[in-house]
Amino acid sequence: MIRIAAVGDVHMDEDVLGRYRPALEHLPDRADVLLLAGDLTRHGTESEARCVAAEFGGLGVPVVTVLGNHDHHCDQVPQVVKVLSDAGITVLEGNSTVIDVGGVRLGVAGAKGFGGGFAGRCASEFGEPEMKAFVRTTGAIAERLGTALRELDCDVRVALTHYSPVPDTLAGEPLEIYPFLGSYLLGEAIDSAPTALALHGHAHLGSERGTTPGGVRVRNVAHPVIKQAYSVFHLSETELAGSSTQVSGAASGVHQ
Amino acid sequence: MSDDNATVKPLDEYAEAAVQRLLTEHAQVAEQGITVVRRDHTLLLRGEVASPQRRDEILRLVTEHFPDVTIACDIGVTRAPEPSEVEELP
Repeated sequence: MIRIAAVGDVHMDEDVLGRYRPALEHLPDRADVLLLAGDLTRHGTESEARCVAAEFGGLGVPVVTVLGNHDHHCDQVPQVVKVLSDAGITVLEGNSTVIDVGGVRLGVAGAKGFGGGFAGRCASEFGEPEMKAFVRTTGAIAERLGTALRELDCDVRVALTHYSPVPDTLAGEPLEIYPFLGSYLLGEAIDSAPTALALHGHAHLGSERGTTPGGVRVRNVAHPVIKQAYSVFHLSETELAGSSTQVSGAASGVHQ
Repeated sequence: MSDDNATVKPLDEYAEAAVQRLLTEHAQVAEQGITVVRRDHTLLLRGEVASPQRRDEILRLVTEHFPDVTIACDIGVTRAPEPSEVEELP
């Protein structure tokens, strides 16, 4: 079993320093890895990133994150990434990392994602250059996410984004802003690989659970949605076997 | 008080939009998760933020920009306890 802790939209700054720390104290007893679903900061400044590093660094479990739209606001992404990386936090953007969890290889592919909306009510690459650029941005991010997921050499795959890959987990948000909350292209990328779980944030008024058209479980772990320091997901052995033919074959070999 | 209110321009959609953008774009706030509800002569602010200081700053800012409007602030601070249960994904 792999135990995944996750939270998004922690929006750290000095006024929030220490708020998550009491709950994080026992994290190594409860989870094998902590995934952060973006919007780590309020404005994406280097000093706010230092607050993130202080709060979520040195936890005793690997910490993997993607950035969110807030983390881009002040155009200090390289500085933010450096502060987080120096604190031992792995920052993903269109790439992946593999973590050994008791001999099981957990692969996490991550990307911020972007908007555009969902099937039947989505933006198209048409018209003004600004509109085309908007849709192309999402398309390029989704393509990198899909490639990262498919190329992962691991036993179980998890997709980590900030924007939502499905409309299910946006329930509670105004319908009018769905195109700014996520894109079906992210869902399509997730469905292009045998993904076990997809985690995202961004939609503070959304809801916890959904699935992609391909049947991948999606969870919105935005802090205001989960209303706890982090959520913990247990991926069972069955799930591990189902997500990798190698493991599945080995397991059935043992049983037979 | 009621005489004063009678002369105040009613809250319209433009005011609602202005508050929403103010809360998102103001450098000290940057909150996108606040719902603005117009109720007759009252502007209700709803949602959750990460600290009491952020709630106070939102209220201060909106009051400063709309001094003639009665503001009702029902913004909570998101709880951050350890999870009491896990979700098993079979």
